[in-house]
Amino acid sequence: MVPTRTITLPEPLCAQAEKWMAGRFDSLESLITFLLQEIARHDSAKLDEAEEQIVEQRLRELGYI
Amino acid sequence: MKQSLVLITVDCLRADHVGFLGYSRPVTPFLDGLANESSIFTNAIVVGAPTYFSFPGIMASRYPLSLGRDVLGIAPSESTLATTLHQAGYQTAAFLAGNPYLSARFGYHEGFDQFRDFLEGIPRESPTWALTHSRFAQLNQRIEKFSRRFPWSSRAYDEWYFRYCQRIAARQNLTVDQLRQYPSADIIVDQARSWLSSIGDQPFFLWLHLMDPHAPYYPPHEALAAIGNKQMTARRMRWLNSFWNRSDIGPRRLQRCREEIISLYDAGIYWVDKQISRLVRSLQHFQRWSDTIFVVSADHGEEFLEHGACFHRPENLPEQLLRVPLLLRSPDAAASKINTPISLLHLAPTLLELLDLEIPASFQGRSRWSEIARGHLAPEPVISECGDGGTNPFRVNDRMLPRLLAVRDQQYKLLLRFKDKTEAMYDLEHDLGEQLPLPPNALKQQRIRLLQTARDHVQRARQKRDWDLALLARLRELSYSVRAKSIAPPSD
Repeated sequence: MVPTRTITLPEPLCAQAEKWMAGRFDSLESLITFLLQEIARHDSAKLDEAEEQIVEQRLRELGYI
Repeated sequence: MKQSLVLITVDCLRADHVGFLGYSRPVTPFLDGLANESSIFTNAIVVGAPTYFSFPGIMASRYPLSLGRDVLGIAPSESTLATTLHQAGYQTAAFLAGNPYLSARFGYHEGFDQFRDFLEGIPRESPTWALTHSRFAQLNQRIEKFSRRFPWSSRAYDEWYFRYCQRIAARQNLTVDQLRQYPSADIIVDQARSWLSSIGDQPFFLWLHLMDPHAPYYPPHEALAAIGNKQMTARRMRWLNSFWNRSDIGPRRLQRCREEIISLYDAGIYWVDKQISRLVRSLQHFQRWSDTIFVVSADHGEEFLEHGACFHRPENLPEQLLRVPLLLRSPDAAASKINTPISLLHLAPTLLELLDLEIPASFQGRSRWSEIARGHLAPEPVISECGDGGTNPFRVNDRMLPRLLAVRDQQYKLLLRFKDKTEAMYDLEHDLGEQLPLPPNALKQQRIRLLQTARDHVQRARQKRDWDLALLARLRELSYSVRAKSIAPPSD
C-alpha cells in the first residue's frame, strides 16, 4: 500500500472541479492524482545525467579524465 | 524605415539538391539567381531532425531537448523570433502547409497576428471499403496470421497484399491534386500575397513553411515536365509512393525505383522555387523588396537509401538529414559564400541583429552577422540531437527516448548513440557519405575534443534547464492528456 497524505483545498474549488469532471474521473482524488502524475512523471534530468556519465566514461577510456 | 523579414522554410530540402550548392539538375533556377546577391552557406546544420526536433532551433534558438525530452515544440511564453518581432511592432503572419508539428498545439502560433496551419481539411488516404469491410477484414486477418508462420509465406502475403491494395486504389483513378496530402506552394504563396497586400507599408515578418518535397511525393505535372519528366501519370506516382513506403522489403528492391522517386522529390523542389519567385515578384510589386531581408532554409533533409533508410526518421543523423540550404539576402549586404559549418541555432539571433532588435536572453545561439558580413565565420563545433527512434511523438511516453547526438567540426563528425552506448566518427573531408567510420581509437585528440563538446552540451541541458518554461509546456500537454482521457472508454 502506497502511503498517502491529506491536503486541504478550498471547498468551492472542489465543488467546481467535481461538477466539471463529471463522467471523466471517479473522484476528486483520482483527478488530482492524474494531474500530478502527468506533471511529475517525466524526468528528463535522469536521462541527461546517465548520458553525461556515458560520455565521461568514454573520455576516461581515452585517458582525458 | 524598419526592414521587414521573410523566412521560408522548406520541409525535407537537402542542401545537395539546390543548384546554388552544386546540384546538377536545374531545379532551383530562381534561387540560384538570388544566391548571386545573397550570403549562402554550404554547411548550414539543423539542431535536430525531423521537424519537431529542428524548429525549436530555428524559431526559439534552442536545442530541442534542452527543456526536457518530454517537451515538444515551443513552450508557452517562450521567446521566439515571432514574439520578439511582434513585440517590436511588426505585423506578423505564418502560412504553414499542413505540418501537424507546426501548429498551435506545439506553440508555433505564438507571436503571429495571423496564423494558418492548413491542418483543416487535409485529405488523408483512408482505407477503401473493401479493405475495411468486416468479412473481408476478418478473412484477411486469418490469412495474414497463417502466413506469418514461415518467412516465405510471410513474404508472399506481403507481396500479394501490396498488389491487391494497388489494384483497389487504381480503380479510384484520382488526379495528382487529389492524391497530394499537403497544400502545394502556390496555395501558400497566394495566401501570403493576399496578406502582403493588406498591410500597407508597415514592417512585417512573414513565415512560410512549404511541404512540396515532403513524402508522399505528388508534384504538379507542370513541375515534372519542367525537369524533363513529361510521361509520369498520377497512377504511376501513386504506385511509386506506395512502393517506396513499404517496410517489408529491403533497400535492394527499393533501389529499383529510387531514381523515379528522386525525380518526384526534385519536381517538388522546382515547384517551391517557382512559387518563391512569384512571392518575390509580389514583394517587388508592393515596393517592399528593397527593404526586406529574405531567408530560405529547411528544417531537415531527406534520405534516399544512402544509409539504407528512406524519408527522415530520427534513427540516424546523417549529413543527408542535417545539412540544409541557407540563403540570406539582406538588401544592404554584399553577396558571400561561407563554407564553415554553422548551426541554424544562430539564425534567429543573427536576423534580430540585422533588424537592429534586442536578442532574447533565452536564446542559446548568438548573432553571427558581423562574421557573415566579413565573409568569414570563426569555426566552432556544431551540435544536432534527437530522441533516438521515436515513432509517435504525439504520445508523451514515446518522447522519453535516449539521445542521439551528432557533433561536428569542419572536418570530423562524431555520432553518439546513447541507446547502445556506441559511437562512430567520420572524416567528412574524405568521406562525405559517412560510409567508413574511423577506428575507435584513431585520431584521439580530435575525438576527445568532440566528446568534450558533447559532454558540455548534455551537462548544460541538465544544469541550465528553464524549469518554468518546462512546467508551462507540461501543463499545456496536460490539457491534451485530459481531453484524450475524457474521450477514452471508461476503465474497469
